[in-house]
Amino acid sequence: MSSKQTKQFAIEEAGRPLAASPPPVAQRLEKTPTYVCGLDDILEGGLPRGRTTVLNGAAGSGKTLLGLEFLYRGALHGEPGIFVGFEEPTAQLRQDAATLGWDLAALEKQKRFFLLDARPKPETLSSGRFSLNGLLAIAAGQSHAMGARRIVIDALEVALRLFDTPQQVRNELHALNNWVRESGLTAVLTVRPPARGGVSLFEDFFESMGDCIIVLDARVTEQISTRRLRVVKYRGSSFGRNEYPYVISRTGVRLAAITSVGLRHRPLGERISSGNARLDEILGGGYRRGACILLAGLPGVGKTTLAATFLANACGRNERVLYIGFEESEAAMIHNVSSTGIALQPHIESGRLVFLTNYPEALGAEEHFMAALDRIGALAPQHVVVDAISACYRMGGRQAAFEYLMRLLNVCKERAITIMLLNQLSSTAEFTEISGNEISSMVDTVILLNYRLSQGGTNRTLQVLKSRGSGHSNQAYKFSITDDGFEVEDVYLGEINLPTGIASPPQEHTGQFEAWPLASETKAKERESKRMRLAEERAFQTTERRATFTRKKPPAPTSQRPASGRKARS
Amino acid sequence: MKKDKNIPADNSRNGDAPVYRFRLFVAGDEPNSRQARATLERLCADQLRGRAQIQVVDVFADYQAAVEYRVIVVPTLIIEAPPPTRIIVGSLTDAGPLLDALGLAQGESRA
Repeated sequence: MSSKQTKQFAIEEAGRPLAASPPPVAQRLEKTPTYVCGLDDILEGGLPRGRTTVLNGAAGSGKTLLGLEFLYRGALHGEPGIFVGFEEPTAQLRQDAATLGWDLAALEKQKRFFLLDARPKPETLSSGRFSLNGLLAIAAGQSHAMGARRIVIDALEVALRLFDTPQQVRNELHALNNWVRESGLTAVLTVRPPARGGVSLFEDFFESMGDCIIVLDARVTEQISTRRLRVVKYRGSSFGRNEYPYVISRTGVRLAAITSVGLRHRPLGERISSGNARLDEILGGGYRRGACILLAGLPGVGKTTLAATFLANACGRNERVLYIGFEESEAAMIHNVSSTGIALQPHIESGRLVFLTNYPEALGAEEHFMAALDRIGALAPQHVVVDAISACYRMGGRQAAFEYLMRLLNVCKERAITIMLLNQLSSTAEFTEISGNEISSMVDTVILLNYRLSQGGTNRTLQVLKSRGSGHSNQAYKFSITDDGFEVEDVYLGEINLPTGIASPPQEHTGQFEAWPLASETKAKERESKRMRLAEERAFQTTERRATFTRKKPPAPTSQRPASGRKARS
Repeated sequence: MKKDKNIPADNSRNGDAPVYRFRLFVAGDEPNSRQARATLERLCADQLRGRAQIQVVDVFADYQAAVEYRVIVVPTLIIEAPPPTRIIVGSLTDAGPLLDALGLAQGESRA
């Protein structure tokens, strides 16, 4: 009977949709929220209450800080805690905490937090057998005195090194584990893997005593350090199985899960103006609120002007815009667009336009993302502009760029925020580059800006390559940037006076094309749901996935001049 | 602390051997603690008669003392006088390290 149940459950879990309520097992197990930003989502509620969690991480991974934060946030939420430090002096811990704005001393005074200095004294000799009973006595006495609910034992391996044989270590861990169970405290043991790789003497002990095992990993790729958290075991509970990037921000540890990709995305909203009446017509009425809009083009072709036109218009409607700039400073951007008659200064002064500018190299992708998330949280913008996504590679490679954009897109899609991505193309642009590679399934509208050489000189052209959920013209239009903003002119006729796109006479088609975007949207949805499953199954190993994406792209012009249209000159 | 330093000085002025002060942290009556206590008491009776004070602290009865003296493992013996302060952890099954710490010869221990 019981085996039958187990089997049935396994099937249920495998087929369980992500958004479903937690499975029965997760409900049986009581959990203690960590209150660490993002961690409880991954743990599906928190750490196992009254049990032991092992936090395994190398030096510099932030495990001590995470342990401390678990106690600090717990104390603020009415769960007093004890921190036993085997490695760092208490003064240093208090100082580290203070830099994150955590006032441990105040909590200590209120008997909500207790910091035990457990570093072995250097002048200690040993003779004969001993045990960790002193620690247990202190923990028991102190937790009783303050009504503690949580305990963190930091760098336990330092204490275990005092013992000569594996058998002694096993006995001590056993006693410690028993005490934790009896005390009812939710315990976190932080341990460090051996410095030069290899297997720790204590590894298998930790493995068996931890009901939950979390591994923290700090690594450096392309000179940019990234930190990842992974839950490797959680007895009696399901959990997010991916590797999750985390940062140590100004307020503590922060994680962002991407398991929820696509699940809480809001549908596209009403039409909003691009800031240019002519472009609105071409788009079939404007952009859609909550859409992801990609503006692609060569350097200097007018992407920033197009974006500025849009955001100035939005701010004029009393809406708020966050401008994330990676290429130029706030002042330079404002100055540059002012030459086209777009005044942004008033919107900055009114607080409706907020800039977030950083060099891509200055921070890791997670820190960039968290900074953006902070601003989005504070400003609650209706629109976000990223200038430019091509610069995101400099955060630490393609992978970092993909993660950053994917998560930013998700945040915006979940909050029905319009996100406008500027993509700077190199001259030998391929379609994949225009559409933003891996993120293409998330993009709703693609506008390509291009230069065309003709007898009369250089023309700028604008073409809507994709616009989900709306009819639009796919013809290329001439446009120019004047002192008075950008101006969309006639359909671009090309060098030999043949209209591009599907129209033979130079007139616009909008309604006719509705069928194609809708069909492609259906396909895109299918692709998206497939990708969601993939994203859930694997963390960020996208090499393979990228290949899948490329194969599954909709039939698209692969020539270097995609603007020549689908049926042109056939 | 000041007092600790003064005691042996006073004693040496009197021409006596120094006074020994021990603080032994135990965990109730568990075997390691019992053994450490027995070893220490025998040493004091045999070699330090009349010159030793032993204070035994049960960490389960007085955890605050354990916090104060940073006693994580038990048994822990703190030799407070004569200075410098020394700490020996363990059951003292082998009295050698203790005798070394006190500057006493090994042979005298079981006289």
